Amino acid sequence: MIRNTRMKRISFVSTVVVAGAMLLSTVPANAADPGVTATEIKLGITSPKTGTVALSYGKLPGAMKAYFDYINANGGVYGRKINLISRDDKYLPQQAATQTRNLVLSDKVFAIVGALGTATHTKAYVAAQLAKNNVPDLFVNTGFSGFDDKTKYPTTFLVLPSYAMEAKTIAKLIADTPTLKPMPSFLIAQDDEFGKDGVKGFALAGHKFTSAPTLYPQGSLTAALAESLLAGVNAAVPAAAKPVMVLMGTTDSTALILKAAEKLSLTTRFNWIAGSVGGDANTLLALGVKPATIDGAYAASFFPDAKDSTDEYVAQFMKINEKYNKGVTFDNVVLQGMNSAMLTVQALRAAGKNPTRAGLIKAIEDKGSTFASAGLAPLNYSATSRVGYNGYWFGQLNAKGELKPVGGKVTLYTTDSTSATAPVLSTYTRKPLPKNGIPTN
Amino acid sequence: MKNTSVRKRGLIFIAIGWALLLIGDRVDELALSQGALVATYALAIASIILLTGYSGQLSLGHSALMAVGAYAAALSTNNLGLSPAIALVVAAFVAGIFGLILGFGVARLSGPYLAGTTLALAVSLPTIANQFEILGGEQGVAFDIGLPPARFGEEFSQYKWFFWICALAALLMIWLISNVLASRYGRIFRALRDNPVAASLSGINVGRLKVVAFSLSAGVAGLAGGLLVMLISGVSPSAFPLSLSFSLLTGAVVTGVYNLKGVMLGGLILVAIPEIAESVVSRIGGSEGFTVALPGFLVSALLILAVVFTPNGPGHLLHKKKH
Repeated sequence: MIRNTRMKRISFVSTVVVAGAMLLSTVPANAADPGVTATEIKLGITSPKTGTVALSYGKLPGAMKAYFDYINANGGVYGRKINLISRDDKYLPQQAATQTRNLVLSDKVFAIVGALGTATHTKAYVAAQLAKNNVPDLFVNTGFSGFDDKTKYPTTFLVLPSYAMEAKTIAKLIADTPTLKPMPSFLIAQDDEFGKDGVKGFALAGHKFTSAPTLYPQGSLTAALAESLLAGVNAAVPAAAKPVMVLMGTTDSTALILKAAEKLSLTTRFNWIAGSVGGDANTLLALGVKPATIDGAYAASFFPDAKDSTDEYVAQFMKINEKYNKGVTFDNVVLQGMNSAMLTVQALRAAGKNPTRAGLIKAIEDKGSTFASAGLAPLNYSATSRVGYNGYWFGQLNAKGELKPVGGKVTLYTTDSTSATAPVLSTYTRKPLPKNGIPTN
Repeated sequence: MKNTSVRKRGLIFIAIGWALLLIGDRVDELALSQGALVATYALAIASIILLTGYSGQLSLGHSALMAVGAYAAALSTNNLGLSPAIALVVAAFVAGIFGLILGFGVARLSGPYLAGTTLALAVSLPTIANQFEILGGEQGVAFDIGLPPARFGEEFSQYKWFFWICALAALLMIWLISNVLASRYGRIFRALRDNPVAASLSGINVGRLKVVAFSLSAGVAGLAGGLLVMLISGVSPSAFPLSLSFSLLTGAVVTGVYNLKGVMLGGLILVAIPEIAESVVSRIGGSEGFTVALPGFLVSALLILAVVFTPNGPGHLLHKKKH
């Protein structure tokens, strides 16, 4: 009886605590489009700031914030300062869902910008009800072509070319390069939409690998597994051949595989081809891959080389990074973050002096393809397309981590994610950098 | 007397349910969403208390058992066309069966060996999940329960729907568990925990009852897993990291691993700590490193304080004060 009375009290206390917490966190209802005041535009980003993936992409929100700080110091967007709220999702779906929901319901951001990851953001998009609340979901950092589905993700705009596009252009590189074409070829890729989109792209291009692609779970690739994969391929291929080894994975996974090759003394055994994500030389070197290992490796990109300070966009972003992102090394991730931030500023300006969420989405649909950007490929936004960049060029890394174009000149190919049509040579000319990197569209 | 206790317990839970229903109508969507998560975590913590606190078996891989339930729920709606409500029952049932099979395997293990086995299960989950095409690899499987029933009206939000489902499931299951623990089985479980040799000499089949406890705990964890992925509309291996197992175990220890009375508080702590940390950082400022480290620091500090000052939970502290 005593026990029951006690239990009753404890249950009552628990209820009061839960009720109290819920009531305390109650906030008044907001206007239809939150996040915009006379002086501020509040934006939100979820990305991994802790965990292994943060080693590769932890710089992204800081780079975006640095660019926004630069814009704020130069008058903001029609007088409003941009306030970027960054939340750590640890690259976990549950965390991404919770943090995106917090951005929308608690921080009351106007839009989400630059969210990163496929498995994380697909869950977060639904859990935070971005579609229902018409929250613009801008410049998502994933190449998952599924985000182009306007019925499922009506407020999302991609920025990266899809992994399928990447695979199609890699297949073209192999077919067009005499030293690669006759070699046995292999694919090691992540077992998520990254790898699956890639496999789909190779199938569309008609490229057949020597053995079935090896897909590994991103979160559980270990040094031992990487070594066993490489050792298996090494044993299966005659010593005279130099097989093509395509790596489609995040930079930390790519680094793990390259370090496994170092341990097995197989770095020169393969013709390495890394995708645009995994081929970020600066990050690979920072993760401990030896300069000699990446020397000669092929990598895809749709940006100028992040080390190329003669490029006007890279030079301007480097200056901003030096002043507003002190102590952070400029690399592909920083370039990508600042570029997405610049696109965001142009989108906000295109939405007018009194931006609404619907107006922002419409502005990107109408004018997004004309935005200035560092990308060497065109942007493809329209009323029917949510695709950002749609092309790649290939280069070879040197020991300094510079990406030098194959053939000495950047040759960009554009393509799509769904057809078997081969990538075509692009004639696109990039728009010049807005004066001092400050958009005035 | 026994029936009276069961009835009283039932009335208390009905009262709590009624209170939650009223609260659900008066708070905003953020609080509803957090409430759903609190209820889900409370249920998961209850499964750990049932296993560790009552039957004395330590699991470090409860997230894997939750994942089993989560996949079962998702697959039964996608492949068998079952309704979400039935799918959640299936989640508990399948995880319970899985726990039963696993329980038979680990029945002879105890202490660090059992902990190690369950830990290995949690660590190997992503690899196991990637072996079967049907589980959808890293991307996982969708688990979309759809919009709330139209009869609740247009104002009835998805978050409120989730809150209702999670709160109801948690209340029902915790009520069932509390009844089990107040019954003969509860006393047997405690006997297993306190002195297995004496329990065996008293005629209790220690191995079989340990398996029963493991299976029950797995079933409850499976239901919690189903609810968790319902909130994010899909299940994938990375939704159940090892850190989740440790967080739940922390929640159980902080609220008192030897009784069920603080489970809601445990759930609340797990949901509130990151929010408190973010709020503290935004008020006092600090570096990026400080921001990301603070939630872990707060949880660790809370765990140490709980172990030092209330090793049996706040409920036990109140009991001591009373006497």
